[in-house]
Amino acid sequence: MMTGKITSVYGNDINTDDIIPASFLQQSTDRKFFAEYAFDRHDPAFRDRCKETDTNIVIGGENFACGSSREQAVYALKENGVVCVIAQSYPDIFYRNSLSNGLVLIAVPDTSAFHMGDELNVDLDNFTIENKTQGTTIRFEMNPDDQNTFQQGGMVGRVRRHLEELLAK
Amino acid sequence: MGQTMVEKIVSHQVGRRVQIGEKIERLPITKLFFNDVIGPPAIENFMADFGEIFDRAGKPAQVFDPKRVFFLPDHSVPTFSIHIAEGVKLMQSFSKERGIKCYKEGDGIEHVVLIEDGQIVPWDIVLGTDSHTDTNGALGTLAFGVGTTDAEYAMATGHLYDFVVPESVKFELTGALPKGVFSKDIILHIIGMMGAGGCSKRVAEFTGPGVRSLTMDARTTMCNMAVEMSARTGIMAYDEVMADFLKDRAEWPVEPIDSDPDASYAATYTIDLSALEPTVAFPNKPANTTPISKLQDMIERSQREPTPDFVPVDDDTITDAFLGSCTNARYEDLVAGAAVMRGHKVHPDVNLIVIPASRKVYERAMDEGLLQVFVKAGANVESSNCGPCFGSHMGVMSGKSKMISTSNRNYKGRMGSPDARIFLASPATVIASAIEGRITDPRKYFE
Repeated sequence: MMTGKITSVYGNDINTDDIIPASFLQQSTDRKFFAEYAFDRHDPAFRDRCKETDTNIVIGGENFACGSSREQAVYALKENGVVCVIAQSYPDIFYRNSLSNGLVLIAVPDTSAFHMGDELNVDLDNFTIENKTQGTTIRFEMNPDDQNTFQQGGMVGRVRRHLEELLAK
Repeated sequence: MGQTMVEKIVSHQVGRRVQIGEKIERLPITKLFFNDVIGPPAIENFMADFGEIFDRAGKPAQVFDPKRVFFLPDHSVPTFSIHIAEGVKLMQSFSKERGIKCYKEGDGIEHVVLIEDGQIVPWDIVLGTDSHTDTNGALGTLAFGVGTTDAEYAMATGHLYDFVVPESVKFELTGALPKGVFSKDIILHIIGMMGAGGCSKRVAEFTGPGVRSLTMDARTTMCNMAVEMSARTGIMAYDEVMADFLKDRAEWPVEPIDSDPDASYAATYTIDLSALEPTVAFPNKPANTTPISKLQDMIERSQREPTPDFVPVDDDTITDAFLGSCTNARYEDLVAGAAVMRGHKVHPDVNLIVIPASRKVYERAMDEGLLQVFVKAGANVESSNCGPCFGSHMGVMSGKSKMISTSNRNYKGRMGSPDARIFLASPATVIASAIEGRITDPRKYFE
């Protein structure tokens, strides 16, 4: 169960240049570094809003985080205390990068019920989102493998085991 | 029921027929490359995540197959910061220790050089640490961009994990391109038609006599921008043009590939090339396209009905122009640009930057007098790298800049200031505009 607060609401086609401009990508290999520059050109107030809570939830529209494959976009969100994104759809690259890092991405057909400031309970085991502020609950769909991977924070354990198998040949 | 190329490639690697929508837990990949942006953190993570396992197995920390992995410094070179320089040195030392090819600064852009050097062949599964890895689909491969973590895992085991077999969308190209209209105009037109998310989760398969009429250079431009309509990648079939390109060049065995005539597609579109015009994408996204004859209407609409990603544009004047990037700086792009430039000068109010996509393109352009055309006209011609495409170096934009570029993205802030206006177009359109100081229909230069 994740409890969080909606501190950002975006429209369609937010891209990964919006989330973390390219000029920061090669300034550090430390993931925390990217928190400071999240949405630096598109919405610099994002970082201040994220300070309201440790468990931020971001709402997006269609095609959230399209464009460049930069995984630093995931770090920029996670390191600002974003625990979950709820949007209508995600491109595959960002979805995979989020799976790799345990940033929970939920897809729902309609995000209009979610407003800035709403407090949510996100139940990954039962696939429900309870909006405590609005008094509503919706269900969402998620592949059980993805649910497992999000909860484990990635799949490095599986890859390690695979590497061990290969080296033993 | 027939299969698409995507299904065939995955089936071949997995060793049995796969279904669309099926999740492949461990998909073997055949080529993997890193640029200077992601190479250094991927190397660090590879050592951190797997070093211990290699130690315990008593084996050196080697990549899955050093002949199938490449490092190419292309984004931020010549290295413009100490941190970037340290990163390139790390890529070089890591490669040297392991017998991996690490290209030199100035050798060129990742999505150009490996194809030039015959490292990419049909039936490959290609992973690159850059979303424009889709470019390689023009060689009949399943090629896509991945993040640092997927790339690091692939480095260790040669696999991509939990890959879901995607559907394909067919774009059947018919007719022939009119003079002054190029493959960049085709793909911009398609992206405008489909929208920024129009191909989401699907592979864009470009086919038909229209594709077969295009050279390899022209084809790569189209696959390159498939990601701009959120396609997983772009792909094209093997044919005589590809066979000819790969002859005496391919470093790996070449086998033909095409989709079966009865393969199943999520959607099919027909594009008549003869009906196309030079096309321009307006800020702030590649999908904001207009045929050049409707340029004034588009300018007026941007002022009347702006949105967060369709910002007001004052007029058609420009201050900057860029002929470069993985999208459009190959030999033929320079030929087209030079054909327009020849006999003219860069407009006094415009800064034109020209960056050949690779050292080989640079040398050929030099030998054939193309570079001279640009230099004498007043362009700034640079050694091969990604250049100002992504807003870090080689010509960063101010808030007052209006840039027309042969690259692939014009998001807010993409090339520098968030207030800059970036237009995307073909090399011919970019050079015509650089001459006249305003967005210009290049067709008059081809009469």
